Amino acid sequence: MRFRHWALLGILLLLIFSFSATGENASGQSAQLDDARSKLVQAFVLVQQADLHGASPAQISLLASNLNLALYYEENATQLFAKNVTASNIYASKSVELSNATSFQAQSIASTARTQSFFGQVAAYSLAIAAGFGSALLVLEVHRLNDLFRKMKLRRMRLD
Amino acid sequence: MQRRVAVLLLLFSSFSLVYSSIAYYSLIRPPAQEFMGWGVFSASGSLSNYFSGVGANVTVGETLNWHFAVTNQMGSIQYVQVVYRLGNGTSVNPNATVPGSTVPQLGNSSIFIPNAQTALVNFTWVITSRNPAGGMVFINMTINGQKFSPSVGAVAGQRFRFFFELWTYDVASNSFQYGYKGQNSRVGVPLQVWFNSL
Repeated sequence: MRFRHWALLGILLLLIFSFSATGENASGQSAQLDDARSKLVQAFVLVQQADLHGASPAQISLLASNLNLALYYEENATQLFAKNVTASNIYASKSVELSNATSFQAQSIASTARTQSFFGQVAAYSLAIAAGFGSALLVLEVHRLNDLFRKMKLRRMRLD
Repeated sequence: MQRRVAVLLLLFSSFSLVYSSIAYYSLIRPPAQEFMGWGVFSASGSLSNYFSGVGANVTVGETLNWHFAVTNQMGSIQYVQVVYRLGNGTSVNPNATVPGSTVPQLGNSSIFIPNAQTALVNFTWVITSRNPAGGMVFINMTINGQKFSPSVGAVAGQRFRFFFELWTYDVASNSFQYGYKGQNSRVGVPLQVWFNSL
């Protein structure tokens, strides 16, 4: 009786081990493919953030080209998965590599865009305040300028 | 003297307010209607003449080179997916809010499109064989190099139709969602092309 229990437990453990050792998840997809997909989405989110933070259209176009290439690799990996797992894994890792590089570039571009935007705002509002002060001063002291012009005119008349 | 300082402060704050408003409006993005536009184009690059033969008849082995032109005006880069389904005359149409989920999906093509750009997505298809069964005709086809055997048939091979749907990646739900994000709700823009299999 006790032997039967141990045998059942052994079979159960063997089954669990064999399922986990295949390297595939329940949907029949490899971990590499799942990783490629999640890294691609992660890169897209970071590129979109860089775009919303004010990165230039040229920079975003370049990042979009990288994303499309990473997507092409990921699609190849998916198509090859049923026929050639090794080739599929090669494409999946290429996609992951490119997605990671794109994420890194996007973060750097977003940071630069944020800094530029901040300094742009500081410059614009500083200029607005300086112009405000200058305008107030001009309105308040406009009579002195009038006096100055009048004096200059008189001096010219005397010289003539 | 105190009065002069008070006037100076009043003028300074008034002018600063005006100039700061100008600075604010020059810095913010101008408001714009966000949308995505797309169309299915024939081999000649037009929105017509999809079929080389008579009417909308497609013969077995005839390759049709179509493409989608998708324009992104959403204000930022978008991850777009074109979903294609094969239906017949009685299939329920996708509309502005609901995709044609009652019709099985054949496949999809995805692409990243930067803002204010138009991307082209190829759609090359061919009917590889016809299987008549009880008055209905079922077709086998190849789309962009991939083989499909749709479960939908059409009476005598007449009035098949492709449904094309635009899906966009929604970061919040971490999945593709039907249509694009409008002002208040998602906006679906389905397309369809009828054809007969001869």
